[in-house]
Amino acid sequence: MRGLVPAGFAGKRSITGIVGPMPATVCAVERTANPDIPALSCRDVRKTFAGDVQALDGVDLVVPNGGFVGLLGPNGAGKTTLIRSVVGLVVPDGGDMQVLGRSMRGPDAPAARQLVGYAPQEISLDRFVKVRDLLALHGRYFGMTRADAGERADELLDVFDLTDKAATLPSRLSGGMRRRLMLARALVHRPALVILDEPTAGVDVELRDELWQYIRKLHAAGTSILLTTHYLEEAEELCETVAFIRAGKIVAEGTPAGLRDRYLAARLEDVYRQVVHG
Amino acid sequence: MSAPTLAAGQWRGAAALAQREVTRVLRLWSQTVAPNVVSAVLFIAIFGIALGGRIRKIDGIDYEAFIVPGLILMGIGTSAYSNTASSLYQARFDGFIDDPVSGPMRARHLLAAYLAGGVVRGLAIGLFTFLAALLFVDLPAVNPTAAIVAFLLASLAFSALGVGVGLIAKTWDQQSYVGNLVLQPLVFLGGVFYSVNVLAEPWRGLTKADPILYMVAASRHGMLGTSEVNVWLSLGVTAAMTALMVAWAGWLVARGTGLRT
Repeated sequence: MRGLVPAGFAGKRSITGIVGPMPATVCAVERTANPDIPALSCRDVRKTFAGDVQALDGVDLVVPNGGFVGLLGPNGAGKTTLIRSVVGLVVPDGGDMQVLGRSMRGPDAPAARQLVGYAPQEISLDRFVKVRDLLALHGRYFGMTRADAGERADELLDVFDLTDKAATLPSRLSGGMRRRLMLARALVHRPALVILDEPTAGVDVELRDELWQYIRKLHAAGTSILLTTHYLEEAEELCETVAFIRAGKIVAEGTPAGLRDRYLAARLEDVYRQVVHG
Repeated sequence: MSAPTLAAGQWRGAAALAQREVTRVLRLWSQTVAPNVVSAVLFIAIFGIALGGRIRKIDGIDYEAFIVPGLILMGIGTSAYSNTASSLYQARFDGFIDDPVSGPMRARHLLAAYLAGGVVRGLAIGLFTFLAALLFVDLPAVNPTAAIVAFLLASLAFSALGVGVGLIAKTWDQQSYVGNLVLQPLVFLGGVFYSVNVLAEPWRGLTKADPILYMVAASRHGMLGTSEVNVWLSLGVTAAMTALMVAWAGWLVARGTGLRT
């Protein structure tokens, strides 16, 4: 694989057993010259939809370079609007949003989008394209050559235990396989920042644990992650810091332990109740 | 990433998306190509061969040959339109449009890729219809350049119309309505089956207001050497319509209609 796979990484990574070390190249990130530049910086981001629905009301949020931030909030709080803004699928009305110092607006926007990998909550896989081709196509959409994208697709099929399904249409995959494929697709172009929108929503405990392992390894390899979830234990388990969003505003943020101390709460769930419903 | 590297990557992305569109057309040939060709052949067989004997020559051309350029253009137009409209709408409906849209490609790359799918499907149908027509009629190809330019421009114009409708449509029915209730009548009333010269007013004036008449006229001039409209006017109107449609589709993609909220 022309050096794409480092020594010590060979063979299939079973997701039903202990997942071996994820090769660095699977989640290799673009390093900036200055590690102090955050992976994501949102300042006063605002968005109002038709019907005067204010989805984002001045959001300030930072994901440090190499950081892992969880975004928590009830339905309709603005989580999905915010992360779709980060990948350019929602255009904010105002504010500033930068990925590794590159603005999501203006001429820098394509370069900024190239640094982001996005796994949406809803299964959204091209029904006409087989699994391997789907991954390779994604890589090519993000500028990879045909050869590199093909190699990368094979690598990720191996890591996510989907090699046997390479020539299968997504509609023939199980729900768990589709989830893994969604995550694999987000990683094809080696993004520096990965956005995960409720990656474990509706999955069983076994698959959730497997996805958690992948996500942990992704982060351990240096990838910055912004994760939205409804599961507080997921945020507590995975994230370095969490931010609570309510009615389009970040109402509290910090480490899980720091937030528990600040709000004199035994569990993150109690913090959630205070800041979101309080 | 340097600008040249980014630009090269963006065009690689456009090529990949175009390949995806073309592969879809070819893989689903029994749905995307064969029905249009069969319909055109049936038109030639029924209107041209079976009924053509009862229709006198038009401008010195046998009726079964007279209708062929228009049938080719009709196949190109309707299929190019339906390809881009349905493909884009499907991608929006299923959500996988987010995949290329969230990438580094700009509007021009996305537009070029989707247009490519429609153009390839349209021209494939045009080519197969032409080959099938040769089994029934003689086509002298007096000015093949004019015919090829007309077919190319028409495929581009209808693909662009499909892109626009595929982005605007809020339901599956809406993009079908435009094809069935707007495009199809315009094609039929654009002189595919008759010469505008045989019409009385106000029908002649109305037909001359139909831009598809000029596309048909340019292709008819190229293939048969006869036309109700000056060939330069035909090609000019065809080029202007194409520019208008592509500009409209490009404007919609650039402002993110149906792609970005």
